[in-house]
Amino acid sequence: MDFEMERARAITRRTFFGKTGLGLGAIALSALLGPEVLAQGTGKGKAGVGVNPLAPKKPHHPARARSIIYLDMSGAPPTLDMFDYKPKLVEMNMQPCPESLRKGERFAFIKGVPNMLGTPFKFKQYGQSGTWVSEMLPHTASIVDDITLIRSMNTDQFNHAPAEMFLYTGSANAGYASMGSWVTYGLGSENQNLPGFVVLISGGTDPTGGKSLWSSGFLPSVYQGVQCRSAGEPILYLNDPNGMSRETRRHSLDALTRLNQWEAKQLGDPETVTRIAQYELAYRMQIAVPQVMDISQEPKHILEMYGAQPGQPTFANNCLLARRLVEKGVRFVQLYDWGWDIHGTGPGDDLMTAFPKKCKEMDQPAAALIKDLKQRGLLEQTLVIWGGEFGRTPMNEARGGSKFLGRDHHPHCFCLWMAGGGIKPGFVYGETDEFGYQIVKDKVTIRDLQATILYAMGLDPYHLSYRYQGLDQRLIGPAGEAVIQKALFA
Amino acid sequence: MGHIPITDHPVQKYGRWRAVLLMLAPLILAYGLPAAGAGKVLKAKHPVVRVDFAREVRPILANNCFACHGRDEKKRQAGLRLDVRAGAVARRVLVPGKPEASLLIQRVTAGSAFRMPPAVTGKKLTPTEITILRQWIQQGAVYKPHWAFIAPHRPSLPKVKQAKWVQNPIDAFILARLEKEGLTPAPPADRYTLLRRVSLDLIGLPPTPQEVDAFIQDTSPNAYEKVVDRLLASPHYGEKWARMWMDLARYADSAGYGSDPLRPNLWPYRDWVINAFNRNLPYDRFTIEQIAGDLLPNPTQEQLIATAFHRNTMTNTEGGTDPEEFRVAAVKDRAITTAQVWMGITMGCAQCHSHKYDPISQKEFYRFFAYFNQTEDANRADEQPTLSLPTEEQTKRIAALKSEIAALEANVAAMPGRKAELEAKQKELASIQPLAVPIMRELPPDKRRKTFVLTLANFLQPGEEVQPGTPAAFNPLPPGAPQNRLGVALWLVSRQNPLTARVAVNRFWAQIFGTGIVETEEDFGQQGALPTHQELLDWLAVEFMDSKWDMKALLKKIVMSATYRQSARVTPLLLAKDPRDRLLARFPRRRLDAEMVRDQALALSGLLSQKIGGPSVFPPQPEGLWQAAFNGERTWPTSTGEDRYRRGLYTFWRRTVPYPSMATFDAPSREVCTVRRIPTNTPLQALVTLNDPAYVEMAQALGRRIAREGGASLTERVRFALRLVTAHPPQPEQIQPLVSLYEQELAYYRTHAEDAKKLATDPLGPLPQGMDMAEQAAWTVVANVLLNLDGVLTKG
Repeated sequence: MDFEMERARAITRRTFFGKTGLGLGAIALSALLGPEVLAQGTGKGKAGVGVNPLAPKKPHHPARARSIIYLDMSGAPPTLDMFDYKPKLVEMNMQPCPESLRKGERFAFIKGVPNMLGTPFKFKQYGQSGTWVSEMLPHTASIVDDITLIRSMNTDQFNHAPAEMFLYTGSANAGYASMGSWVTYGLGSENQNLPGFVVLISGGTDPTGGKSLWSSGFLPSVYQGVQCRSAGEPILYLNDPNGMSRETRRHSLDALTRLNQWEAKQLGDPETVTRIAQYELAYRMQIAVPQVMDISQEPKHILEMYGAQPGQPTFANNCLLARRLVEKGVRFVQLYDWGWDIHGTGPGDDLMTAFPKKCKEMDQPAAALIKDLKQRGLLEQTLVIWGGEFGRTPMNEARGGSKFLGRDHHPHCFCLWMAGGGIKPGFVYGETDEFGYQIVKDKVTIRDLQATILYAMGLDPYHLSYRYQGLDQRLIGPAGEAVIQKALFA
Repeated sequence: MGHIPITDHPVQKYGRWRAVLLMLAPLILAYGLPAAGAGKVLKAKHPVVRVDFAREVRPILANNCFACHGRDEKKRQAGLRLDVRAGAVARRVLVPGKPEASLLIQRVTAGSAFRMPPAVTGKKLTPTEITILRQWIQQGAVYKPHWAFIAPHRPSLPKVKQAKWVQNPIDAFILARLEKEGLTPAPPADRYTLLRRVSLDLIGLPPTPQEVDAFIQDTSPNAYEKVVDRLLASPHYGEKWARMWMDLARYADSAGYGSDPLRPNLWPYRDWVINAFNRNLPYDRFTIEQIAGDLLPNPTQEQLIATAFHRNTMTNTEGGTDPEEFRVAAVKDRAITTAQVWMGITMGCAQCHSHKYDPISQKEFYRFFAYFNQTEDANRADEQPTLSLPTEEQTKRIAALKSEIAALEANVAAMPGRKAELEAKQKELASIQPLAVPIMRELPPDKRRKTFVLTLANFLQPGEEVQPGTPAAFNPLPPGAPQNRLGVALWLVSRQNPLTARVAVNRFWAQIFGTGIVETEEDFGQQGALPTHQELLDWLAVEFMDSKWDMKALLKKIVMSATYRQSARVTPLLLAKDPRDRLLARFPRRRLDAEMVRDQALALSGLLSQKIGGPSVFPPQPEGLWQAAFNGERTWPTSTGEDRYRRGLYTFWRRTVPYPSMATFDAPSREVCTVRRIPTNTPLQALVTLNDPAYVEMAQALGRRIAREGGASLTERVRFALRLVTAHPPQPEQIQPLVSLYEQELAYYRTHAEDAKKLATDPLGPLPQGMDMAEQAAWTVVANVLLNLDGVLTKG
């Protein structure tokens, strides 16, 4: 109950000193500015005690996972051509869509009576679990015994930006806090020299929902996602100015700290002490971030395993980076890979050329990530999630009479997989009808997914809240309909 | 434990003695009412405490009961309401005077299956909370209406002991509370501190060295007041306060959502706001013109531009979207933002279900929504309807062309050779494209929309049809007010409206003191924080209305108070007793806002452009940020000349790709109305002011300014620099580390010419004649430190 209030007050430094039960408020100022704090800035750089809102916090209940890697397939991949095999749909390929499927439906682009579109790709069963996977995903086929495949995901949004916002912030409208922000707000981070919530982008563009997807919304901005980049500065403004050496930076920080310490003594504001610590943390980040972002330090066989090439903003590089980041204790690593919006309006977004290309870019690194985490013993404590923001229709879109094959937006069902973090290995959950149009068994809503992810992290989704606008705001929304899908856990 | 009970955290405020006393209450009751004599003895020792419904009881009921036993008729269980007294009493849930007979007490103390709140809610009352409820029922179970929903009256001024300290009535209220808590106000701030503070507060810029000198030398008794008047009259005053309003208006230079197309045509609205503050437009007119300027008789061009306030809503033109869905979303945003900005009411909850805490039913939400549902705009890519706003030049040229064309047309029959000339002029006339500012415009009477309650807020599920109306719990529409947006505006600024003035004065207070008298500026409803000084808030609100909503007069009153003029020094005693400084026994220090961090650094470096208004500008940002934008414009056209150095207010604001350094300093994306920025203190902020090339450029310019204006010797220059950036006489402890740093770095750059050149000139450009490269590199290092001083980044 007091969890959220405690967190809420831990956010601004001023509050922090008063309320955290460290009793700092009662301690004389001389103790506050005591030797360990005042000794800083001499180059040894140790953060002040307990002044960081990203300090690790205890979960609500024993956590199954310590970190999250979320592989977002931005644009919504056609999972009917990847995981949800429908022989009946193949049979009906290019036949008019039955009236029963169209009644009362709203499509983004489909007009009139569309034709059904059976997958043009071959499916086979793989692994001991016998999971059906398409020929587009040979590497993913090799990890089916490590993952849980959910074939019954459901959302209520079917335009990209609102659907992505709903998935990541719990609201299709702007202004809410993202999942990564909630998790770092609830748990802090284990490595104070790196951001707790890192965002990595591939596919040439931001996801449609833009930076709102890693915004901290109404939570303090210290919890917003920090975008790390494979090219240029890994974090904006990480590099010292041109012509300034590390030694000069150290000297200048030492002078800055002395002046700020003098001021802290004059005015006694704890915030000044926090600022001194934050500058030291920035200095350490300047070293730690480039190190962790430098994948060229990886051995050749690992680079090859992922298909990674240092210096490129690719999904493969980002998968490898994600592993390096969670290895260092980063709490939440969010990947966005744009390019999965397979409408079939032209060769750039069709099922026969664009889609296989995307699969090829994604399949090997995603599978490599699971194998690599596993071989390092990290998979158990890392929850990996793969998926897009909604599904795609079993009908061919044929927008404006397009001859290219593709599928329209479809909110009712889609596939998503999860691995690690206590999730059952080699498990398939949920089922759709013979066309892959509606869920017939074990529906998992976006809110359920959010609740399940928080639960895996040791957070109680119903009680992880933040008071804003008179409401205890939650990732899972104000109503209580989210269900923790405990069936997914081993 | 030792903290002063601050009234906005109702349950926490009770000291141990109070809880003990409450525990005793049932014992006393068990033995019947004590005899008169005994009662007196008891009273003398422990004054009988009357439970305060608003501060103690209501929060318990609201947090634990109202979700199922409150206003929301759809979620209501057993037909029972605990937010009104009558029903609960009729059903013996409350038996006034008899806690143990009351079902409420029986249920909250019952064994598991019978207990309220039910286990599934995860909630459980604490023994203290149960004791408070018992005591309240014992005392008659009296409900009181929510304080903020009753119109404010002018309170009488409290009596204080230290009357000499009081400069104006604000101080009487602050001091009365401090005296009650056994605290004394801090001594006055020194004049340097005060001048810097009031300059930053009123115009958002630091004082110049000349202004510091003038103030220090002015020994007249009203020297400070003269400064305040000068600042209030400065054209930069409007810029500073427009910044605050931009967050509320969710002003941005792009339309939001997926491709986030640019809106290079909304800045005239921003300039309207700057101008409105500068000419001190009364707050009631400021309100009316923004909400309904188009509905005023014969609206001026300015009044039409003001209505762009509500054209700042987002537009979604992503492929496959239904324009009606996003038109409805924009209209909802207008209704919610209006209630939020002017009344501090969170109406958004009521779009799906009746508000669980505040008196707004779902139907009332859609009745309020109906007022905003009659404008022509409809999520169009071209943002129609718009106001054509030609520049002066364009106006002249259009007039000239029109008369030339008229003349040519008259003559063309006679002189066929002029036909080509006529066509050229006509073509030129057509090619002049004045700025098209999106504005509000009502649909013609025959095209009015019907408004329905939307089931689950879904535009595809209309329910019952509704007529426009304001929520019944508040003042009625003023007599004669029309049933449209103008009526809403008049309703907001009616003296009967309990919230508008309170919310406004609280907002100005929060801008100055960092925290509002009601901390939850965005929520004055029943779930919001209670005011620390309600009488002060009411006094300010009534005073504000009596002054005819004069914003400058309000600000002057605040900054002239002794409360404002206190020192910010924190003593261990104050830190222990009032760590958050809610009682204002000192001035609360606070980090500057994102825009102010930039503006101040520009001002200190001498780079700041004084230009006011005009199209938004593109100061340097890291390359490629817009290339990642989803579709739409991908090139950030970095500004040249003085537009590189404009105040942060003018930086082009793209919602999905916010200007990174400002976002790091807690600026919102402005996709929706933001009432409060929560300041943070993070390492990423350090990286911005240390390494962002924009700040490196400012450090270079500051370094050159030091060399140019700071005198001849090293110590003189360091003194000049410290005095410039802190507006204080420098102290030896500050001078020495900077002198050492300079000498050390100068030695390095003397032997590293290539590095010196980079640090001294990239990106600002070649050094002026006569300056030494190594020296300027060393000065850049020093200036970079100066711009990162805590005392510089903070308003103290």
